[in-house]
Amino acid sequence: MTPLRAERVHVRFGEHEVLKGVDLAVREGEWLSLLGRNGSGKTTLLRVLAGLLTPSSGRVLLDGGPLDRVPRRAVARRIALLPQSTPYVRGLTVRQFVRQGRYAARGPLGMLGEVDDPRVREALRDTGVEQWADTPLERLSGGQRQRVRLALALAQDAPVLLLDEPTTYLDIRHQYEVLNLVRDLQRERGLTVVSVLHDLAQAARYSDRVVALLDGVVHVDGAPSEVVDAVLLREVYDVAGSVLWITTNGVLKMVVVPD
Amino acid sequence: MRWRLAGLAAVVVVCALAQLSVGATGASPGALFGADEHARMVVLELRAPRVLVGLCAGACLGIAGVVLQAAIRNQLASPEITGVGSGAVLGAVAASVAGVAQPLPMAVAALVGGVLGGGVLWVLVGGSGDVAVRGVVVSAVLVGTTLVLLTARPQLAGAVSRWLLGSLAGRTWEHLAPLWPVAVVVLVAAVLLGGVLDVLAVDDDHAHGVGLAVVPWRSGVLLLAAVATSAAVAAVGATAFVGLLAPHLARRFVGVAHRAAVPASALTGAGAVAAADAVGQVVRVPAGAITALFGAVVLVVVARRTGGIG
Repeated sequence: MTPLRAERVHVRFGEHEVLKGVDLAVREGEWLSLLGRNGSGKTTLLRVLAGLLTPSSGRVLLDGGPLDRVPRRAVARRIALLPQSTPYVRGLTVRQFVRQGRYAARGPLGMLGEVDDPRVREALRDTGVEQWADTPLERLSGGQRQRVRLALALAQDAPVLLLDEPTTYLDIRHQYEVLNLVRDLQRERGLTVVSVLHDLAQAARYSDRVVALLDGVVHVDGAPSEVVDAVLLREVYDVAGSVLWITTNGVLKMVVVPD
Repeated sequence: MRWRLAGLAAVVVVCALAQLSVGATGASPGALFGADEHARMVVLELRAPRVLVGLCAGACLGIAGVVLQAAIRNQLASPEITGVGSGAVLGAVAASVAGVAQPLPMAVAALVGGVLGGGVLWVLVGGSGDVAVRGVVVSAVLVGTTLVLLTARPQLAGAVSRWLLGSLAGRTWEHLAPLWPVAVVVLVAAVLLGGVLDVLAVDDDHAHGVGLAVVPWRSGVLLLAAVATSAAVAAVGATAFVGLLAPHLARRFVGVAHRAAVPASALTGAGAVAAADAVGQVVRVPAGAITALFGAVVLVVVARRTGGIG
């Protein structure tokens, strides 16, 4: 089953072609991480998959049908996106913001009442932001706000979760807390996750599959233990070095050692 | 929240009673129930419609302001800088120049002007929320066109200046008739759209992401703002700063959620116009001049005290 599929996707910004024919089938229940240098088109591809950006040519299929023909509310019930950053409205509380994740499920009139929504409570609890539920967003740190954004994406209760650099702004403890949470949800609820991750070690540890973009096309596609190696470092990131795989406490981990 | 809205409503009632109490004669609101027929007529036929027209127009401007600020995500958005207010003034003035004098056709002319003014801006910004500079340009062109029209018919300048400045002088039950239904409808519609406004106020990508089709919804709420503004302008003219100031004050009382901010902004706008007209009648200047003067000052004070507008 393929919930999301990109077919020959080209994206051009003026003269600059960022994506030059990307083919990518996201499998149900997998965690797929997009790798690549800065500017390689990872975020662009994620936005295309989310339906926020229309490809110059090519198409995206959601559950087998063209994504651009699916109404926005129906898309949001299937796909939740955690963007790199979201502006916030001064005075808007964490609970009010996270509650907006229920728009697709409840509709414009359903957003009116102060109805206690169990999905919102669950998302606040799971992301550990419950204690700031009634705090305005501007009083939170960047890391706390990032967790609130994740809570919004979780409140959408969509089976596909797109994460654009979800660990940005987070200290190392919260980075692993967020990634562990997403992994738990992926396993418990069978979520399909597509993430952009800059940290190769995190990508290798959490992903079932990594896809590296180079020159606007898919350069490498496979399981992390099979494709994340010195060749990928050199070809994709232009870094000379070694990749060491070690097992601690039964978990396979990866370390990059530059030359 | 309900108590805060009730408190705002009480302030509006006080402002309205103050407005009802002032005028050329010494009649008081109590004259409505007294034996003095002349005083009763003064209050009932001259002051009461003036008060009610002011309340409805102020509410419309407050609603237009809070809707515009959310829809285009600009804290300085108001009917004045979005082409809607100046378009409505142009429509009303053009109708005057063409010889129209009845309130209902005047309201229709203002509505057409307001929607066209807002529509021109909407086409220029291509559906995005980037209106600040283009809005000022569109408004300047519309105000310029209004002044050119006035040059063609200088004998109308005195009467028409009311629309440019905003005044409640001479408002009657006839002016209230087309205004109050619009005020009620836009209030109900804007409250029902509270959830949409909350989402629109954050960010386009965010709105798309949670499932809101941005362009049709934003177009719809801007049309709502155009209707509210045009109805107010047709009745009392471009009462400056009410649409800008009311949402800021309202959000300080009840927070940013539009379910409460919309009625609070309507109440604040209504109260501001009532208070401005009461003061204006005492010092013998139009209400629009008072809102322009005090609105600017209050806005600066609010911004300085809180470290920003919002």
